[in-house]
Amino acid sequence: MSLVIARNELRRLFVQPLAWVLLTAVLVMLAYFFLLTLQGFLVLMPKIAGNPAAPGVTDLVALPLLRAIASVLLLIVPLLGMRAFAGDRQSASLPLLLSAGLSDSRIVLGKYLGLVAFLVLLIALALAMPLSLQVATSLDLGRLAAAALGLILFAAALAALALCASACTQQPAVAAGLALVLNILLWMLDAGARYEGVSSNFVNYLALPTHLEPFLHGIVATVDILYFVLLSAVALALATRRLAASRVRG
Amino acid sequence: MPDNSTAATPLLQLRDVSRLLAGRRVVANLNLALDRGSVLGLLGVNGAGKSTTLRLIVGLLTPDSGEIRIGGADPRETPGAVRRLGYLPEQPPLYPELRVGEYLDFCARLRGLRGAKVAPAVGGVIERCGLGDVRARLLGNLSKGFQQRAGIAQALVHAPDLIVLDEPASGLDPLQAVQIRALVRELGKEHAVILSTHLLPDVQACCERVAILHQGALRYDGPRQALGDDLEAIFLRIVSTEDAAVAA
Repeated sequence: MSLVIARNELRRLFVQPLAWVLLTAVLVMLAYFFLLTLQGFLVLMPKIAGNPAAPGVTDLVALPLLRAIASVLLLIVPLLGMRAFAGDRQSASLPLLLSAGLSDSRIVLGKYLGLVAFLVLLIALALAMPLSLQVATSLDLGRLAAAALGLILFAAALAALALCASACTQQPAVAAGLALVLNILLWMLDAGARYEGVSSNFVNYLALPTHLEPFLHGIVATVDILYFVLLSAVALALATRRLAASRVRG
Repeated sequence: MPDNSTAATPLLQLRDVSRLLAGRRVVANLNLALDRGSVLGLLGVNGAGKSTTLRLIVGLLTPDSGEIRIGGADPRETPGAVRRLGYLPEQPPLYPELRVGEYLDFCARLRGLRGAKVAPAVGGVIERCGLGDVRARLLGNLSKGFQQRAGIAQALVHAPDLIVLDEPASGLDPLQAVQIRALVRELGKEHAVILSTHLLPDVQACCERVAILHQGALRYDGPRQALGDDLEAIFLRIVSTEDAAVAA
């Protein structure tokens, strides 16, 4: 049943201009960034050609693009997820789902899967840019696969946070603002600790970059997967509780 | 062999249901039972607790006390029991960005219809609600009358046993209101219907049974015919007697 809701959410995203505008703007911006880094690599290539220890095209072109995708996701996921519940409340369409005889967790899961499917599509389209270099050079495909997995887990966690914010508010704009603040907080959480040279403490563990960076370097660690899964699960559980509370509080 | 236990169980039963909202008792010790094949008009002034009662029935709110059973099942323990209901809230729960056909297709699947059952169910409800000419149009671009019809269609698409309609003719022009009443009468032949309204013509046109709610409590529950022809006078007497008692 969650898949029925997910498919409908995906359809609703694609019949509205916001998703198309964001998708187009993001891909155009990433394509421009990709061409800039590629040009930089082509200028640098003759100088590093003889050095076997020098970074390759994966390091100098693909990785910067992947980091740019992560930064863009921080900003656009709140916009894509803001309407999930707050928008339905505003348009009075939420009772359709709440009176359908489904558990609240299935409703939340359906909305979540729809948003994640959209984000996976966006990441896949963006990854096609560095992958296109494979026709002319040799990429580290294992590393790219790890990075893609990391980005999907990262996007899924941001989607869960956006849905949680949307479930907790009445206005989509407030939901987007709340999700953006949460994203930035989790992104910057360990900035002070890193500035002070402190590492491996609790604050570092909570920060998003601590767990995304290993994926971008081709390291798939259980602790990082677990972090994103836990973050998503907690946010989705909170969203479910908020829906259940709306039946109790009125 | 007939299932006697099912036959004896009312389709809907509310026992001593109470609900507070914002510190005010909106529904107080409500007892109500409804069997298959009856059209119940839930009548009351604005703020009488009609919409809250309907929201309690369809599971949008949980009761503070008492119990609600649908076909004998408690929807809190068996959420799927609510699928025996179709619900039209006061404002139809539409997705303005979807087309009528797409929306009803989703509603059918949401209520558990699958595969080859979906298209006939959607086609049937489109025909029944007179939505054929607007099937491919966006819900957000429809007139209020057609939006209301689409709202009723989503409540019917899974052929529920009980249809719960909250002010279906409210805000419609006289012609649209007459058409909606005719549709409700038609529905009453095959389904049990609860029609919440503060418009007496709705009750007179559609309902054989009336429940009058006032200040959250049930003041009358019985056949409409027993109230006589002047429903308005009796309704006003019940409501004003209560108000006078409260003022005293």
